[in-house]
This record gives sequence, C-alpha cells and structure tokens, in this order.
Amino acid sequence: MTVWTPKDDGFADLTNHDTFANGAPHNTFKRLRDEDPISWTDYDQGEGFWSITRNQDITEMNRNFKVFSSARGIRMEDQSYEEYLARRTFQEIDPPEHMHTRVKLAKAFSKPVVAQFEEDIRDLCAEILDQALANDSFDATKDIARQLPMRMLGRILGLPDKDLPWLVEKGDALIANTDPDFTDHVLDKMETDEYRKMPFNSPAGADLADYAKTLMAEKDASGDTSGILHLIRAPGKDGSVISDEEFRNFFCLAVAAGNDTTRYSIAAGIQAMCHQPELLGQMQTGDDAFWDLAPDEIIRWATPALYFRRTLTQDFEAHGKQMKEGDKVLFWWASANRDETVIDDPFRVNLTRSPNKHMSFGQSGPHVCLGMWLARLEVRVLFQELSKRLKKIEPNGAHKFLRSNFVGGIKELPVRVHLQ
Amino acid sequence: MKATWKLADGSEITADITNGTNMMQAAVDNNVPGVIGECGGCLSCATCHVYVDADWVGKTGTADDFEDAMLDVAEAERTDSSRLSCQIEASDALDGLVLIVPQP
Repeated sequence: MTVWTPKDDGFADLTNHDTFANGAPHNTFKRLRDEDPISWTDYDQGEGFWSITRNQDITEMNRNFKVFSSARGIRMEDQSYEEYLARRTFQEIDPPEHMHTRVKLAKAFSKPVVAQFEEDIRDLCAEILDQALANDSFDATKDIARQLPMRMLGRILGLPDKDLPWLVEKGDALIANTDPDFTDHVLDKMETDEYRKMPFNSPAGADLADYAKTLMAEKDASGDTSGILHLIRAPGKDGSVISDEEFRNFFCLAVAAGNDTTRYSIAAGIQAMCHQPELLGQMQTGDDAFWDLAPDEIIRWATPALYFRRTLTQDFEAHGKQMKEGDKVLFWWASANRDETVIDDPFRVNLTRSPNKHMSFGQSGPHVCLGMWLARLEVRVLFQELSKRLKKIEPNGAHKFLRSNFVGGIKELPVRVHLQ
Repeated sequence: MKATWKLADGSEITADITNGTNMMQAAVDNNVPGVIGECGGCLSCATCHVYVDADWVGKTGTADDFEDAMLDVAEAERTDSSRLSCQIEASDALDGLVLIVPQP
C-alpha cells in the first residue's frame, strides 16, 4: 500500500497556494523531471521563474552559489532591493559574508553540542506523549508534532516557557503566511503594503520584533547569557556587529524555521506510520544503526521546505535552456526528494534507506540547514518514545495539508491509537 | 594524483583523483565512509573532517579563518592535523596524499 497518492493532473499551477492544499503536486514534478527539467513558469504576481526539478541538477546548481545567488530573496515572491535589505537574514546572504554569521552559531548547533540535549528531549517527549496518548483519538499534529519543537526552541533560544505558545502562534503566522488557518494577513490576498519591510512581510514579524527587543533588554539588565541569542550579537571575525534590524530578522527566522520544519517532519512520520503499519515494528526493534538512518528518511518524506529560490548573477545554460542574468530559479526540494533516478521507490518510506540523497536540509550548498542535527535528534527521540508506547496507530479521518507552496506540512492529522 | 584514506577499522581506500577535485568530493565519489560533505564543499557543515597524515601536514596548506572556526564544529576531536577535506584540492604536488578518517 502506498502511503499517499498524488492527485494533481500533471499540470498543476506551482504559483497557486491552493494547489498545495492537496499535498505537493508530485505528478507535475514527475512530468517536469521527465520532460522539462528546466521549466519556465509565468507568474501573475511578479516575474516568472525557472523550476529545477531533478535531484542531480539541484545538487550541482545549489553548490554554485556565485551563479545561483541567495542575495535577492529566497521565495518566489519578488522583493525590491529596499525590502530585501530590510528583511534579509544570513539565509539571504551569499558566502563569504554568510560565513560571518554561520561561524558564530555553528558550534551551538553542532552534532556534539546538540547531543547534550538528548535526555532533555526524551523527558519532554515523555511529558508530551503522556498527555497526548491519554486520549485514544486526537490530532497528532496539534498534540504531538507541534509541541516538541516549540519547547526545544524555548530551551535553545533561552526563552521563558510561559511565552512559548504565543511565540509559536506568531511563528506560524509568519511562515504559514498564506494559510488562513494560521494568519489573518493572508499574503497573496492582501492589498496593503504596510508590512513589506517587516520579516516575512507579516504583522506577526512586527510583534516578534517588539518581543525580541524587550526580551534582550531584560536579559542584558540581568546579565543573562543563556541560549544562543547572545552568540549572534557577539562581534564577528571581522569585528562587525549585527544591526538591530538583522537581529530582529534572525530572531524571527529562528522562531519560524526552528518550529514548523521539525513539526511537519514529525507529522509526516506519524502519517507514514498510519499508512505503512510495518514501520511501527521496525521502530520498536531498531538498533542504533537503524536510528542513525530513520530520521533522514522521515525528513525526506516530509520535505517541509518545498523550494528555495535563487537568482542568477550571470547567464546560464542547462538542458538546452538559456537562463538569463537576473532570472529567478526555484530549487524544488520536494521534487528532488521524489526523484526515482536517485531515490529508489520514492513514494514508500524506507527507514533504512542508505545512502539517502534527500535534500530537505538544502544539502550540497552553503545554506545547508544550521539546525539539521537538532532536527534529526528530535525526530529520532520522538519516534523512539512514540513507537515503544504503541500497539497500533491508524488514521481517524483524512489529513489536511497547509495552504502554502513554500512550507509543506500536514496541519491536521487525526489518528486513533492502541497502546501497549 | 593518487590518494589514500585510512579508515577507523584499519582498512584503506586508494583512488586516482583528477587534479582540481576537492578531497571531500573525491571521498564521496569513492564511497569513503565517514566523509559526508553535506554542504557540497561550501564550508558550512564540517562533515568532511579528516586528519592529514603526519608526512603530509604542511604540504596541504593551512586552514583559513572560516575553516578554522568550522573545525570546532566537527563531530570528532580536533587535532593539529585536522582539516576540512573540501578545502584541500587534488594536484600533482599532493600525489600520494594520505588522509585519516576520524572514528565516528
């Protein structure tokens, strides 16, 4: 039994968020990989763009950051240069400047440092699961997947527990800014330009900016240096110090990206368990070698970031297509992660897949996910703890996807469980 | 040029490498376990950490500031011979290079 069958007709409109409310249009991606791997799309809300859909092409272009630049924005939507400057984070800055920020943070997110959180994460998982599994049917996104990343984020950033639900609500409004379930300011349906210079073009960005300012003032006053936020304010190797605006943008990025990517990875993993019942038994008997591999497969299956955009700094030709300097190029991670030429039987979850050439973390480029070791560890521990408590898990109604062509996620996942 | 990777289990992998290839890519192309290179050689991940064999330290150059900072991020312990292998480029001058892959 396949886990989930794509329903699009092979010619889905990639610019339309509604397309993705039915799940990523994988029949369209398959057709593009087979027939038109460098494919032009007109865009009624701005400049058109090239879609890159083959795993191998994305791998090669992603590392070629001098030609495929992140420094004009990373989403499909156009930004003026002024807006770019106001909203950018190190995600939207190319090397070598990118590295000044990355090296400040890399140690805190390194595998050995993150590993020290394992027992913390296990305790949190136990707490979350005790509560969720007290009911035999519930929404697994809301009651499990949403809980763990939010609480870990608080620990990593050094934020008070009481603020976390508010922060996650704001983070959702930022990054799921095209889904009316998560924001009143639905990006593609707004006529106001009021927030164009705010993080994620969102009023939630303004709220988070105020929060961050107050929080850091309080931390400074009390000499509190817990969490990673003080690291990013330290002078860089070149002596440069982050501006208030850049700090605000980084804070919003951490709240948004640190939250829903891991959430939707966990949700997709639980959905897979519902539809491939053999996964539960494999998890229950998995050894360390198994758990070194399983999280990446769950994260491949999820592909929470559906694409990132680049902008060409010079003309570039591939597969007979002439792309021009200034053209927008979209790397569709969602397609790369279902590319059967690199990933065998891609529509099945194979928890021991090795090698696993998925690109959910933006592998093969300078912007590879800073939080990937934390994400892997959270996914690993959550599924270890969940599987050992379950006898069976099954769907309890249809799941619903987020309305977003940028973030791929199951926002509602009704399940029924039978405990050990 | 030829290069050899010494693995933690005592085995070795030797391969011919085209000049100009970085040694992370060469390791990945030759299925050297323990050298991953998740950022594709862009100095963003430290998963291509190796120790340069004592005979070759000095010939492979030294880490620049960013590489130096990223070496602190590697999983295995850092030593004086630690390098990120994506920053070492194959050339005739390095023919016979020996790299030691850290114990995971």
